[in-house]
Parts: sequence; C-alpha cells; structure tokens
Amino acid sequence: MTNPSPELLHGTLDTLVLKTLAGGRLHGYGIARAIEDGTDRVVDVEEGSLYPALYRMEKKGWIEAEWGVSELGRRAKFYRLTSRGRRQLAAQTAEWARFAGAVSRILLAT
Amino acid sequence: MGFFNRVAWRPTVDREVEDELAFHLDMRTREYIERGMDPAAARREAELRFGDARRMRAALEHLGQGRNRHMQRTEYFSELRQDIGFAWRQLARNPGFTAVAVLTLALGIGGTTAIFSAVYAVVLQPLPIADPARLMVVAEIFEGAPSQVSAGNYTDAAAGVTAFDGMSALRFSSFNLSEGTTPERIIGGHTTANYFEVMGVKPLLGRTYTPLEDQPGSERVAVLSHRLWTRRFGASPSIVGSAIRLGGVSYTVLGVMPQSFDLTTESEELWAPIAFTPAQKVLHDEHYLTVYGRLKPGATRAQAEQQLEAVAVRLRRDFSHDASQLRYTLTPFVQEFVGDYDTRLFVLLAAVGVVLLIACGNVANLLLARGAARAREIAVRSALGAGQWRIVRQLLTESAVLALAAAGAGLLLAHWFIVAVVAWSPQGVPRLEQARIDPLALGVAVLLAAFSSVVCGLAPALRLARTDIHPGLRDGGRGATGGSFRDRLRGSLIAAEVALSLLLLFGAGLLIRSAIALQRVNPGFDPHGVISARVALPQAAYGDPSRIVDTFERMAADTAAIPGVSHAALSSFAAMAPGGNTNGLLPDDGRPFDMKNLVPSRLRIITPDFFQTMRIPILRGRGFDANDRRDGQRVMIVSEALAAHIFPGQDPIGKRIGCCEQTADQKPVWKIVVGIAGDVRSSGPATAPRPEFYLPIAQAPDEAWNWLQRVMYVVARTDGDTAALVSPLRAMVARVDPALPLYDVRPMDQRLAGTLETARFNTLLLSLLGGVGLLLAASGIYGVIAYFVSQRTQEIGVRIALGASTASVVRLILVQAMRPVALGAAIGVAAALAASRVLASQLFNVSRTDPVTIGAVVAALVGVALAASAVPARRAAAVDPTRALQSE
Repeated sequence: MTNPSPELLHGTLDTLVLKTLAGGRLHGYGIARAIEDGTDRVVDVEEGSLYPALYRMEKKGWIEAEWGVSELGRRAKFYRLTSRGRRQLAAQTAEWARFAGAVSRILLAT
Repeated sequence: MGFFNRVAWRPTVDREVEDELAFHLDMRTREYIERGMDPAAARREAELRFGDARRMRAALEHLGQGRNRHMQRTEYFSELRQDIGFAWRQLARNPGFTAVAVLTLALGIGGTTAIFSAVYAVVLQPLPIADPARLMVVAEIFEGAPSQVSAGNYTDAAAGVTAFDGMSALRFSSFNLSEGTTPERIIGGHTTANYFEVMGVKPLLGRTYTPLEDQPGSERVAVLSHRLWTRRFGASPSIVGSAIRLGGVSYTVLGVMPQSFDLTTESEELWAPIAFTPAQKVLHDEHYLTVYGRLKPGATRAQAEQQLEAVAVRLRRDFSHDASQLRYTLTPFVQEFVGDYDTRLFVLLAAVGVVLLIACGNVANLLLARGAARAREIAVRSALGAGQWRIVRQLLTESAVLALAAAGAGLLLAHWFIVAVVAWSPQGVPRLEQARIDPLALGVAVLLAAFSSVVCGLAPALRLARTDIHPGLRDGGRGATGGSFRDRLRGSLIAAEVALSLLLLFGAGLLIRSAIALQRVNPGFDPHGVISARVALPQAAYGDPSRIVDTFERMAADTAAIPGVSHAALSSFAAMAPGGNTNGLLPDDGRPFDMKNLVPSRLRIITPDFFQTMRIPILRGRGFDANDRRDGQRVMIVSEALAAHIFPGQDPIGKRIGCCEQTADQKPVWKIVVGIAGDVRSSGPATAPRPEFYLPIAQAPDEAWNWLQRVMYVVARTDGDTAALVSPLRAMVARVDPALPLYDVRPMDQRLAGTLETARFNTLLLSLLGGVGLLLAASGIYGVIAYFVSQRTQEIGVRIALGASTASVVRLILVQAMRPVALGAAIGVAAALAASRVLASQLFNVSRTDPVTIGAVVAALVGVALAASAVPARRAAAVDPTRALQSE
C-alpha cells in the first residue's frame, strides 16, 4: 500500500466516522473499509488515528460500543451512533459544507 | 441499572484493546489475501500498516481507562440528578409533610449551630496571645481560695522561680481621664514593665514602657488599649508621644495595643507602670496584685509549682508575722479566663443536641409513616428491576435533600438565635459578643444535616428496601410493611423521644426550682428604691485624709438634701459590687497580734445613715451617729456572722477588737463593738453571708484610703423612681468638684438581679429547649398513634360491631400509646439522674436528684403524652363499623 493519501484535515476523520456509523453499527475495521471504499481509496484511514478517535468519541458520548458477532462469526466490538453523536454529525456536516464552499469559491474561481 | 451491572459485562480495558486490535489485524490480513497476497506477506503487510502496535495499545488503554472513569462519573451524577429531581418532586408533592419535617430539623440544626458558635467564641476560639498554654496565673491561697498576691510575695517569687520566662504583676486600677469636657472613669491597670511581654502581645503603635520607666519618679507614662484609643482619641496615630491627663496629672502616651488585646468588652483600657517603691517590695501583707508567669519552653507547671513552694517555705520562715500562712497556686490563664462558662455552655450544647435528636426522631417517624403509604410505589420499582441498593440510595437522597433544606433554614434560624443569645446573655461572658456563624459552625451545620439524613433516613430506607414485592403489589400496598418489627421501631422512637425530653425537662426543672429558691432568699437589705454610684478622689488633689473625709461627708449631706431622697449615705463597699477591702481582726482575748490569730472580715467604711438607707437592721446595740468623731472613742459595728464567729455564745457589745491600724510601737489600735448589724449576702443570694464589720468614716484609718484608692459608693433611697436621681447626683458631685466623674450608676435591685443573671439566662434557655423538646415529643406521639389508629380502622370497626364499648376502644389505643411512653420515662429518669451531675454546681438549695422535680416532670410528660394520644383515640372510638367493614 504505497498510494499516498491526502492528509486528513483536522477533525475530518471524526466527521467521516460519524457519517459512516449513521448507516448502522460497525466495528473498527468495518468503519475503515467503508471510508476507504466510499472515497475510492483516496482517503486512507490509518489505524493509529482511527482507534484513538473512536475511544475519544466514546468518552464524549457521540458513539457507544458493544460486543457482538461479526459477519464472519467472530466476536467483535461494534460502534453505534448515539443521539448526541447524531447532533454532532449534523453540526460538523454543516460546518464542513460552509468551509468547503468557501474554499471552493476561491480555488475554483475562473 | 447501577453501574455495577454495566461494568460487569464490560471486559477489562486491556482485554478490550487487545481483542479489538487483533480482530482488526485479522480482518486486514484477510483483505490482503483476498487481493491475492500469500498469507505470510499479507500478515506482514497488515502489521506494517499498523505501525508500532505496542505503543498504540498503550495509548488506547490509557484512553479507554479515562473513558471508563468518565462514563462512571457521568452515570453516577446523572443518577444522582435523577434521584435529587425525584426527591424534590416527592417532597413538593407533600408540602405539608415537607414543611413540618424541614422546620423540625431546622429548629434542631439552627439551635445546635447557634450554641456551637457561642461555645466556639467563648471556649474553643484560640486566645490572641502568644502560646496561651504556657501563660499561668499565680495566686496566693487565702482561706482556701485563690486570692491576690502582695508586692513582697511577688518580688520574691519573681526572683526565685526560674521555670518562668518572666513574671509580671498587674494591679487593677481606675483612672479619672479628664481629657476634653467630660471627665470619665477608666478601668485600667498598673503593671510591671514586662507585663506585655509575659502576656505575649506587641504594641500596635509606639512601644510599651521599659524597666527604667517602671521606677518611682519616672512612671508618668501610659499605654492605651485599642478600644480607648478609638473611643476617646479618634484612632489618631499622633497620640503617641503626646500627653493626657489622668487624675489631674500629665502622662505621656507611649503606645497603643492591638485590637486583639481587648480580650473582653470589660478588659482594661489603659496601662501605666506600677513603679514599686523599695518599701512596697518588702511588704508582704497587702494583697492586691494579679500575677502572671510565662513558662519557659520545656519547663513544666509542676517545676514552677515546686519553685514557688520553695520561695513560700523561705517566706513563711522569714516573715512569720505577715506570711506565716503563705502558699502559692498556679492556674492556666485560659482556664482562669474562660471560668466556668465552658461547663455552662457545654450543658446548653448538650441540651440543644438532645433537641436535635428528638427532631430527628420525629422526622424518622414522619418518613416511616410516609414510607408505609409509598410501599406500593417501592414495590413497583423493585419489580421493574431496581436493586435494593438503588432504592436505599433513592430514599437516602430524599432524606439528604430534606436535611440540606433544613440546614439552609437552620442557618437562617441560627443567625437569629445568635443575635438573641448575645442580646439576652448576662454581662461578662468573655468574648460571647464575638459569636457568629463562622465557617466552622457552617461545617458543623452541614455535618449535622448529613448526620440527620442518615439517622432519619436509614432506618425507614432499610425497612422499605426490604419490602417483599408480592404482597405490596397484590393488596395495593396496605399492610405490606406492617408487622410487629415496624411497630417496635416506631415504639422505640417514641420511647427515645420521651426519654430525651425527660432529660431536658428535668434539667430545666432543677434550674427553675433553684431560681425560685434564690428568689426567696432574703439578701439582708432592701434593694428596692436605692440607687448606687461610685465616686473616686484622685490622689494628686486629695492626698490629705482629712480632706478626703470632709469631701465624702459633704457628699453624703448634699445627697440627703436632694428632693425625693429619704436617706443617703456613702460606703466603701456596696453589696453585689466590685471593690472593697478585707482586713484581719484581732479579738482582745489575750492572743498575740499575729497573722494566724487574725479573723479575716470585710471592711465597710460608712457614713452614719448607711443602715437606714439600706434598711440593714441593727440587731443589738446602736448604729453610728454624729458623735463618733475622730477624736472620740474608736467604735465598730460587727455583722451577726462575725459576732457569732469571734464571740460564740457571748455578748459582743462592749468587747474590744483590734484592727486596721497599728500604734507607733506596733500595737493594735482597739475599737469597741457598739452594735450588731444583720447579715448581708454581699456576693449575691446564692452565697452565704460573710463576716463583715463597719467603721464610721470619721474614724477611718488614714491608710484605708490607699487600700480603697479613695473610691466610695454613694447610696440614696427614694420612694419615687431611682432613675430621677441620676442627674441630681451628678450635679451634686459636680458642685463638690467638677473634675470628679460619677460612674457605675445603677439601682441596687439591678445589681442584685445582675448576680442572678447568668443563672436566669441558663434557666431560661434550658426551659425553652425543654419546652421545644416536649412539643416535638408530643407531636411525635400524636403522629404515631394517629397512624396506628388509621391502620387499625377495620379491626376497631370489627370490635365495635362485636359490641366493644367506646371506653374499651379508647383504653386499647391509650394502652398501646402509653407502653413506649412508660418505657421512655423509665429510661429518661435513669439518664436524668445520672446526667444531672453536670448541673450540680448551678443548683441552689435543690438536690440534683430532687424527687419533687422528677415527679413533676414525669407527670407533665405523661399528661402531655395522654393528651397527644387522646385525639386519635377518640377518633378510633368514633369509627363507624359499617363503613370500616365496607372499605375492606
């Protein structure tokens, strides 16, 4: 795996994780794969960032964890969005749209 | 669900991290294999991607632990918030119950906080002097009691004791301060130069005097107290170095002491050097000094006592005439300062604590009664899965919310209580005026609230939590928590309340009986309609004894001439007042003129009309008259007690007594007893009359004016209002000498009442507490019996339906009510008899096991208990059997 991925803007990983979990509960690997596949592997999720982010968001109460059985029948830790996490996702999405719109207006100006 | 459960299904953090990362690694490896890598390479690639696995594991474990702690805390607080919100709604739903419970507890907490604040201010608060534990008061033993020290005995002790860092002497004096327009009498002290150092206080401004200034001839310097400095000199720093006039003489102000050295509102306001003359330093028989010693670091009280005894041994040998009985005694200054107020205050604190306990008992009863009504709710909650611990916690939270509300209300009450206690307390309780709700008292209030919540809440909470769910759900809660244990709990609460109230009432009863006994005591004179005041002649202008006598005699005559005054006199001592002098009398029966043959007796130098003015009866012989002049036969009048002591079984009239002065060849000057006066209880009704004797002012020994510091009391009797005499008296003194202040002006019956003030205050407070306790106990009994009746309505209905008479139903209820009352009374009597020991010193003419008081208190309590249970008992008798049975 050598294709370099653009550095994730600060805080963007959190938003991506929340967005991913909005579709239903997933384990950590599942979250990473969903983001990677969803961005056509433009975004490469590093384990060293993902798991600390998950633990932090769990502490903040945005997501909660429970142990369950994976699609392959293995015991795995699943994460789920909480109602607080849902509010957070909405706020961060709005913020991202505002930011991206502003940056695009300059970069894509003809 | 409590967090115990949640934690139980959660693996430990390190297992959690381990498993989660292992799963991730396996899934990645699998992904790479699916993309065509061979398994070993796939695994390597996945691990490579992972980076430093050990570091990441450590980081995640750290994060996970923080997350768990945070979540536990959040959960705990959210449950607490739920509990408090729930408790609040519960309490708000029953405003009557809540108000009664909060007020009951607030009364107990407020009272306890207030009395604790007083105890703290008077007893516990550290003194503002350096290392107070090392400061000792040195006294001589005279007639078995500590008394003041003579200059000779002080000088030799100061030289002979090495266990002290220093020994200082203080002579309480008063000064006529004639600064500005109005002359004023100021209480102060003449002290040795090391006085301030021994007390351990440094001046706020300037300096104190040096040993060089503490010498005859250079002693016209003074140190002001902070109080005098602010009161008379506007707190101006420029006072240091300037001159003030004291007794007509100019003194230079050297310094001002700090405010903290105003130990009480009545302490000295000014100090000047005592400047002993060489003659005074070898005088062993005039005792007027208060002596302090500061123990050296490492020196013990026993060492100082031993060294003092060694000095005393020498003095007894060398001065067998004046010091043959000399003995020193040491008392810690703190003990001397606080006096017996610590016992009195701790008795009050205990009493108010007992009221708090009764209040807790009542609230526990209320919670129990309400718990019964809530049995169904509790049963539902535990059926829905709430654990026992969770329910207990919920119920305790309710108690705690109740107690905290009570603590808030109690603090408000405490504030008012403190104001009232300070306003109504007797004069002279040291530092009481400094009592305020300080952080410590606040802490105590909060602690009390916590204590109350546990005491009030725990028993009912445990009972309820143990409730068996099924009957609670089945029959709608009624009877679910019934049963004999529950009744026993209620019964023992009643018994405890009755016992505690009895304890309080017995104490109050004993004090009330003492107060009545004191009221009946004849003080030996008629204080009503007599006004008294003091006047002092400064030495500078009144050095000549004949001038002193002339001045005082003129004052007596002028006072008698004031319109409305029927009799007036001057006396060197007034009953229930400070000052005066005690002399040794030598009966003329051949015994040598030696210290050990002298009978100590209190001297009064009076103008002839004194007996008529005070209405002290002359039992035999005659009073003084205008013929008892200086050049005539020396005469004296003795009190009944003195006559009985010196001349038991004989007629003292015409007998000779030597006293108060000596001839040039060291022989006693003899005086003839011409009359016997009735005894006067000069120290208050509670103390037995002491031997006293009277000398006519015209024949006063010259030396006496120095003992008395030329201070006399003016007493005047009127048929009208004593207050109307105050300004004519002042005008009279001003006519004699405008520079003289008249001070300490008080009606005699006020002085008499003043000696009883402390006793009366304690009696009032304890009676108040007893009354509150009785009221609380009565409401507790009422509550329990009313509950009992409501629970048994059906049973009573059946009994009535089966033909039970009204009387038998009432009897059934009363017997039920009186059983715990009788038990409580029995325990209470035993406890009261044991505890009354602490009151023994405050009782007068009443035994501390007085059976009359016990009988009265038990009768009162049983009567109140009967009345409190009579209301529900009559309600029970009025039960309509058909309705009671239908409701089943």
